[in-house]
Amino acid sequence: MTARRSHTGIGRREFLTRSGLLLGGTALAPTLLAACGGGGDGGGGDGRSVSISNWTSYIDPALNRAFTRRTGIKVTYTEDINDNNEYFAKIRPNLSRNQSIGRDGIVLTDWMASRLINELRWVQPLVEAEIPNKKNLRAALRSPGFDRERTYSLPWQSGVTGIAYNIDVTGTEIRTIDEFLAVEGTKTVLTEMRDTIGLIMASMGIDTDEPTFEKAAPAFDKLERAVRDGRISGFNGNEYVNDLGAGNLAAAFAWSGDVAQITRDNPKVRFAVPESGGMLWSDNFLIPKTSNRAGLASRWINFFYDPANAARLTAEVQFISPVEGVPEQLRKLGGDAAKLVDNPLVVPTEEFLAQNHIFGPLSGKEEERFDERFSQILGTG
Amino acid sequence: MIDRDPEGRKRARLAPWLLLAPGMVWLFLFFFFPLWTLARMSLSSRPSRFANPTFDWNWSNYGDAFSRYGEQFTRSFTYAALATLATLCIAYPIAYVIAFRGGAWKNVLLGLCVVPFFTNYLIRTLAWKTILGDQGPLVEALRSLGVLAADGRLLRTPLAVVGGLTYNFLPFMILPVYVALEKIDPRLVDAARDLYATTWRAFRKVVLPLSLPGVFAGSLLVFIPAAGDFVNAYYLGSAKTTMIGNVVQDQFLVQVDYPVAAALSFVFMAIVMVSVVVYARLLGTEDLA
Repeated sequence: MTARRSHTGIGRREFLTRSGLLLGGTALAPTLLAACGGGGDGGGGDGRSVSISNWTSYIDPALNRAFTRRTGIKVTYTEDINDNNEYFAKIRPNLSRNQSIGRDGIVLTDWMASRLINELRWVQPLVEAEIPNKKNLRAALRSPGFDRERTYSLPWQSGVTGIAYNIDVTGTEIRTIDEFLAVEGTKTVLTEMRDTIGLIMASMGIDTDEPTFEKAAPAFDKLERAVRDGRISGFNGNEYVNDLGAGNLAAAFAWSGDVAQITRDNPKVRFAVPESGGMLWSDNFLIPKTSNRAGLASRWINFFYDPANAARLTAEVQFISPVEGVPEQLRKLGGDAAKLVDNPLVVPTEEFLAQNHIFGPLSGKEEERFDERFSQILGTG
Repeated sequence: MIDRDPEGRKRARLAPWLLLAPGMVWLFLFFFFPLWTLARMSLSSRPSRFANPTFDWNWSNYGDAFSRYGEQFTRSFTYAALATLATLCIAYPIAYVIAFRGGAWKNVLLGLCVVPFFTNYLIRTLAWKTILGDQGPLVEALRSLGVLAADGRLLRTPLAVVGGLTYNFLPFMILPVYVALEKIDPRLVDAARDLYATTWRAFRKVVLPLSLPGVFAGSLLVFIPAAGDFVNAYYLGSAKTTMIGNVVQDQFLVQVDYPVAAALSFVFMAIVMVSVVVYARLLGTEDLA
């Protein structure tokens, strides 16, 4: 090997090497950061603060300040949940070793809550004595399959998964899943497996309360065919929000609250619960087993079960509140908040709720089969 | 007693080791140890889905990685190869012009190539989603020109994914190619011309061979991260354009199957290593600076 090294122009080359490194760093950093996720240590050590993790845009920050004013308990509130699976991967290493995740409260969707409560036992009971407002929990949500007595969980907000579409692009209203598949233009479904496959199962008349892989098989086949033919061109999380507004998407499986927020600015975007029914879900407040401030965390959730506070939360996020007495409080707030009372996606009637389905619990083995089949259709399995 | 060499200089026995130590510690902590952990993980099995995997020489993970994800492996390396080729075609002329015709503007021109990349990687990729969108200006222009069919689209096609990779990794090709070209003594080209070489022949016989080390370095800097990328395929692609990075992400985050994900990563590294060696043989790297 011949070592032929020129020593001229070192200055510039050094500059280039460095800018190359810097550039490499800038390009790779987001990937690495995305993989690691943001850390964060929960609360101070004085015992008068709680640390909560929640999904993005899922609160009115003024409510946290109001809580601190009323109770003197400081709140470290982090919006670091974007996806149930991703968040699970983040907390798993610590919780599986019984180490703190620096959080006293986390908010996860029904099925993930069920996994943490029943399968892994990584959460601790809520402190009943600190939650007198639990009596305001809506009857329909009082005893879900995964937590019959609501010992470990309380719903934060609920919502309905249905179809959102941009009427300018589709040129026609959409009322059923088959109409959704037939309409021209780019369409996407959700990466959240239970929402996507649940809607399709319901449209084929398959019961979703007690799902099994065998029962769901025809729905998976239907989804697979639609992806293969290009009738469904992608899977996403709530990125569909911007694309629908811009007309880059004709239609998408979508979450009610998101759409309620888009339709405020863009009347061309519409939301329909399919005639066969939408999927009804809740995100649940849980206390990790490693938190030693369960009492304070329970006081925090209690605050949001006061109908007046719950109404302010609803006015901001426009999902379905699990708290009774919210419509009356919304009326009291007046203005735009009062108008929400007439929106069935925010204040649903019993009849509206009855036409929706809940995706029942899956056993560990079954869930694995569901996830694998779904990934296969997604192109990653 | 101090050791001295025949000329009476002190023999520093420890110094080289001390100088090496920080690098060795770094390498051990951030390279060998993670690699070893990954290797163990790839040979582990899970008693149940969420249990921590235990090491038991479970080679079947590799079987799974190969048999189930062959399609995504092929796609990843094809896309990465296409993106590398495309970056080369775009970067070489740019680097050439800057190196030989840039004059006093060299640094400014290089800066212009690099500055857009100070924006976050994810944001730049998402911007392409808007540009390539079905109702975006680009698609409409191409449709009216007849390049795209009336229902033709760009977003969620392989073209969009390869295009995204090309765009995102372009500077990694420009910079090394530029460095290689800049090192070339222009008088060599003059000499070739004096010996009656045409411009093209002078380029082919003098400039191109001398710039190959830059091309080699640039290709590696583009090919390796492009093959492992999952962001472009996720945002610009569809279910039919998933790459191996997407599979690893899915195995880690959704299936919670760390052993298979680790095996996939190892297979990926092995393929990259073999292709780099083959490529180095073909191009000859003894002249790499």
